[in-house]
Amino acid sequence: MAIVVLEHVTKEYRLGDHMVRALDDVTLSIESGVFLAIAGPSGSGKSTLLNVIGCIDTPSSGRVVVAGHDISGQTPDQLASLRARTIGFIFQTFNLFPVLTAAENVEYPLLQMDELDREDRRERVQAMLELVQLGKFAKHRPNQLSGGQRQRVAIARALVTRPAIVLADEPTANLDHKTGEGILALMRDINRRYKTTFIFSTHDKKVIDAADRLIGVEDGSVRILGVRKEGQWAITNVARRPATHAETATP
Amino acid sequence: MLMRLMRREELRDLAERVSRVLGRDIQLGARNIIRQRRRSAIGFIAVTAGVVAMLLAAGFFEWNYDIMREGTIRARIGHIQVVRPGYLEAGAADPFRYIIPEKTEDRALIEAFPGVDGVAPRLNMSGLISVGESTVSFLGEGVDPVREKKLSGAVRMLEGTDLSTIDAKEVTLGEGLARSLELKVGSSAVLLVSTASGGVNAVEVTVVGIFSTITKAYDDFALRMPLKTAQTLLRVNGVHSWLVLLDKTSATESMVERMREKIQAKDIVLVPWYETAAADFYNKTVSLFSKQVLVVNFMIALIIILSISSTMMSNVRERLGEIGTCMALGDSRRTVLRRFLVEGAVLGFFGGVAGTIIGIALAQLISRVGIPMPPPPGMASSYIAGIKVTPGIAFNALLLAVLTAFIAGILPAWKACRMPIADALRHAR
Repeated sequence: MAIVVLEHVTKEYRLGDHMVRALDDVTLSIESGVFLAIAGPSGSGKSTLLNVIGCIDTPSSGRVVVAGHDISGQTPDQLASLRARTIGFIFQTFNLFPVLTAAENVEYPLLQMDELDREDRRERVQAMLELVQLGKFAKHRPNQLSGGQRQRVAIARALVTRPAIVLADEPTANLDHKTGEGILALMRDINRRYKTTFIFSTHDKKVIDAADRLIGVEDGSVRILGVRKEGQWAITNVARRPATHAETATP
Repeated sequence: MLMRLMRREELRDLAERVSRVLGRDIQLGARNIIRQRRRSAIGFIAVTAGVVAMLLAAGFFEWNYDIMREGTIRARIGHIQVVRPGYLEAGAADPFRYIIPEKTEDRALIEAFPGVDGVAPRLNMSGLISVGESTVSFLGEGVDPVREKKLSGAVRMLEGTDLSTIDAKEVTLGEGLARSLELKVGSSAVLLVSTASGGVNAVEVTVVGIFSTITKAYDDFALRMPLKTAQTLLRVNGVHSWLVLLDKTSATESMVERMREKIQAKDIVLVPWYETAAADFYNKTVSLFSKQVLVVNFMIALIIILSISSTMMSNVRERLGEIGTCMALGDSRRTVLRRFLVEGAVLGFFGGVAGTIIGIALAQLISRVGIPMPPPPGMASSYIAGIKVTPGIAFNALLLAVLTAFIAGILPAWKACRMPIADALRHAR
């Protein structure tokens, strides 16, 4: 079942006097439960692609369906609510709130869920901190934590709402190799255990090797689609002007 | 019944949600303010200084109102005047129509009221005072020297002593009157008045003292003599008014109401100080200066708004990444807007509280040192002013601080919440 569907998505924006085409007629669908890497050099449009999937940017044209919701024509408030309940975000720079403790950072997205009372929230937060092995650091502020620990807090924050999709923008780029591998292993483990869809952008070969699906982006277009089966990548090269159907679904 | 219960449930639900949301907003705002100490300091100092200025300005005027009000009340008119109906309006033309008994049961009743500091009889007259070749007119008051002691707290003796006994043939003179006749303590003068029966009567008196009050116009004509002497001179038995002095000026209105219920006699009325002609000057001064305080407050508010909005503007610019993160995590624009508004208001509150504390301390310090003031128009002498910060003034200043800080946050908060999320996120560090 596809959890994300993009049809002929184009994104243009103005940079000075020029119109830049960040996404050029992208069509793809992403299955639920995958561990997908979006790879490409910087400026290739992978961040824009991730933003469009995450409903924090809207396409100039084309259709985007996320977890069954067609996002075209939705108001900013409707999109905010969709993000709050359906999508978890992990950022390259962790983006924890510096004035909140680890536990409060994790609790943050739950505050807008009226159906949860204080006790529910406390339980969920504690469970998430345990999951990322930071149970003992609940009362620490971000500046008292290492980079790896901060990213774990961010992962806990992304997962606490039990989202269908977790989006991670270069989640290991600001971490050393060993820590990055730990973070990757944690995400992979959560992906396997809870069937949460992970979509992350990267240009790191090691990170790509941890994925089971691959989308290669260049100049705003999808160039490569990859599926890994029993450790082996099956790569499909996509023509410069791709056909209307470019799927990452199992072949 | 069920409907009402439901509504109460809903209401409590709403209150719970509001307090949860606002509670978190306030907590976040306070933490952010404390974290960004240096930048918050600019806005904080602006609010604090503004509130201090506001307190000192308003407190200074308040002190002056106070002195003026208490001076008028305690030197001349008392808190409540008990007179014949119409005396205050027409008494000057036909003073003998408005005589009331010196003592009645009602007077005893009023004296027994808790909160009444004393009741002093007054007999007013106008006449001529002669010394040698010169004769000028005067406005005289027959007073009970013993009872008058309390009432005349704001009558300052410049030379000599106050009146001694109720029937002594002596007078005290207002500063201006004494000067115009070149009278000194110990000299004698002749008073000439028309009596109740239409004749003319005169008495020779000794000047025992020269006084001044806060009202120059009064001191230029005023003369005080013992009540019995005045009664003999005018050939009347009664008095024109009983002046009632209270413990607290603020209690005047309620005391008047309670006394009116108890009073037996139908032909006397109770007039509170603020309805008398003598209070007119006070009332007009207060309304004039209150307008000026308003202008001062308006300018202070403007300064607070400008400095807080610049603080909040750079706050928003520096926290774009955080704003983007909030919105990515599902916060609506409204939430972001509200959070920055609350943060501004919290900053205003912090600054306001600090300003109030500093302002009150400064007011006390300045009052202790004193502000030398020149004689104001219509008043007799220079004086040392102080600053009086009432709870009302402090509350207004605090409210103004919070409100202006809130208003100052509107534009920055609006900019923050309209930011495209992807752009805002690019600023994350």
